Amino acid sequence: MNQVPPGGMLPGERIAFDPIAGRRRLELPDGKRVAVWIIVNIEEWNPLETMPRTVLTPPAGGAPMPDIPNWAWHEYGNRVGFWRILDVFDDFSLPGNLAVNGCAIAAYPQIAEAAHARGWEFIGHGFSQKNMQKVADEVEDIRLTTEAIQRFTGTRPRGWLGPGLTETWETPERLVAAGYDYVADWVLDDQPVVLKTRNGPLANVPYTQECNDVAMMLIQHHKASEYRDRAIDQFEQIRSDARHGARVMAMVLHPYIMGAPHRLRYFREAVAHIAGCPDAVFMTGSAILDWAKAQQG
Amino acid sequence: MTDPTLPGTRNPYSAIVDRAPLPPLPGGARMAFWSIVNLEVWDISRPMARQVIPAPTGQVLLPDVPNWSWHEYGMRVGVWRFFKLYERLGIRPTLSINARVCDDYERVAAHARDLGWEPMGHAWEQMPIHKVDDQRAMIFRSMDRLESFWGKRPIGWLGPGLTQTYDTPENLAEAGVKYIGDFVYDDDPTVITTAQGPLVTLPYTVELNDIPMMIVQHHESAYWKTRVMDQFKRLYEESAERPKIISIAIHPYISGQPHRIRYLEEIYAEVAEYAGVVHMNGAELYDWYNAAAKVHP
Repeated sequence: MNQVPPGGMLPGERIAFDPIAGRRRLELPDGKRVAVWIIVNIEEWNPLETMPRTVLTPPAGGAPMPDIPNWAWHEYGNRVGFWRILDVFDDFSLPGNLAVNGCAIAAYPQIAEAAHARGWEFIGHGFSQKNMQKVADEVEDIRLTTEAIQRFTGTRPRGWLGPGLTETWETPERLVAAGYDYVADWVLDDQPVVLKTRNGPLANVPYTQECNDVAMMLIQHHKASEYRDRAIDQFEQIRSDARHGARVMAMVLHPYIMGAPHRLRYFREAVAHIAGCPDAVFMTGSAILDWAKAQQG
Repeated sequence: MTDPTLPGTRNPYSAIVDRAPLPPLPGGARMAFWSIVNLEVWDISRPMARQVIPAPTGQVLLPDVPNWSWHEYGMRVGVWRFFKLYERLGIRPTLSINARVCDDYERVAAHARDLGWEPMGHAWEQMPIHKVDDQRAMIFRSMDRLESFWGKRPIGWLGPGLTQTYDTPENLAEAGVKYIGDFVYDDDPTVITTAQGPLVTLPYTVELNDIPMMIVQHHESAYWKTRVMDQFKRLYEESAERPKIISIAIHPYISGQPHRIRYLEEIYAEVAEYAGVVHMNGAELYDWYNAAAKVHP
């Protein structure tokens, strides 16, 4: 669909170009300079559909269904991998962000409970792991996701991340109508920004495709250590940039990727580096949003 | 989702942190090392299972002699490097074997048999199980051929490329299979239900597997050792609390290459420095688990 429907807008209409140089200086409390948020993505992969990602292709190619090996490879993350990642959050007393498919709360209640018990922020991540452009009824998908989270946590989610960061032309309008305060799909800045929608403003909190294990491990096929090395390089550069005002850094992981035994240590080592720096503060997406709003006026 | 043939129904989700203890490993070991060698037949009349070099301009051309001969090198040369290594170490791996290997490469199959390697059913020849006309007949034919060649019916099965259709587990249980490697969704052995009785799943691997790592993800040869040792060290640490199984899956046309074999050799040399690690094949792992879980009489 290359026509913008009347209910939507082009990206340039939602947000005017605004270089980061010369903006009002943002200050974090206690002299911190970099707000770091870590987002753990919890998904449910429907065995009746094509798998969102694969580690193994079938002999001689093609995509025969069902795809049990790749379903099982993802399921490992929820049965085993998540619990390794949780240890890192506990050991460093980190606030967590759970971007969760609405349907995954019922499928993996132990994960939802562990996150909720620790006060993690729940972020809507589509009802199932499917491109938003292929969801039959986007409004209904958002409603179901919001309800699933609210029913479980007792609180309406404030943040949204599209599955694979996908949006339709009208997703921002629909999120505002459903009561969302921010999205994370727009990876265009190191500070929170505000998008126009036909239903009022919607903030965007800086998420990442760069420090994201899907892109790094499954698409670019880097070694596991590159997750640590890149996160540290990213952090140190943003920390240096932050002499001009506070900035935000995101780290993204999926239990089926970084939760594999051979990868986990590199996530832990990245966290250890950042946690050891007095300029860093770990936050949730909502806390970053509320801080930025108060600072930006 | 209550369809009994869906993978998530055969063994409902459970979190590893909620499990009852596993039985102790033989000899007081804390960790088991499961080595799996895969032997296949690539029929020259069909597209090759994997390719090291696509034809110029990416066309699919038959016959695909360059990739056929690349695989054939593994049977002529590479596998003999494996035999030498494992004889020196006194390890008898599990042999995931297309049953047709017994006829097309009798020299190789007989050598593995005479060394006491455990045969694991791996279909008749290398093609996705979805494309086999009569799957049930193919499974019986494969199991029967291995039984006649080894003098004993195998108890394990790995789908070609780990592929299954929804009713594959029923066919396998009916054919006398006791354990499968296709469900790479856990660190523990688990039990899945089938209409023909239960099957045990053993933690095979798509992460420590030279096809995804070298052929799909294109990692450097040395990274094989790095990843395996990262996995080993993490699981070794966790095995202080719960027995852990590390599995590695290799193919003679990949890991049997002169430039890769040293990394495999170095892994076993390093692992030998750790106390409490026992090398077990699939049948031994199954016996260990089944003795306590009593899945099969």
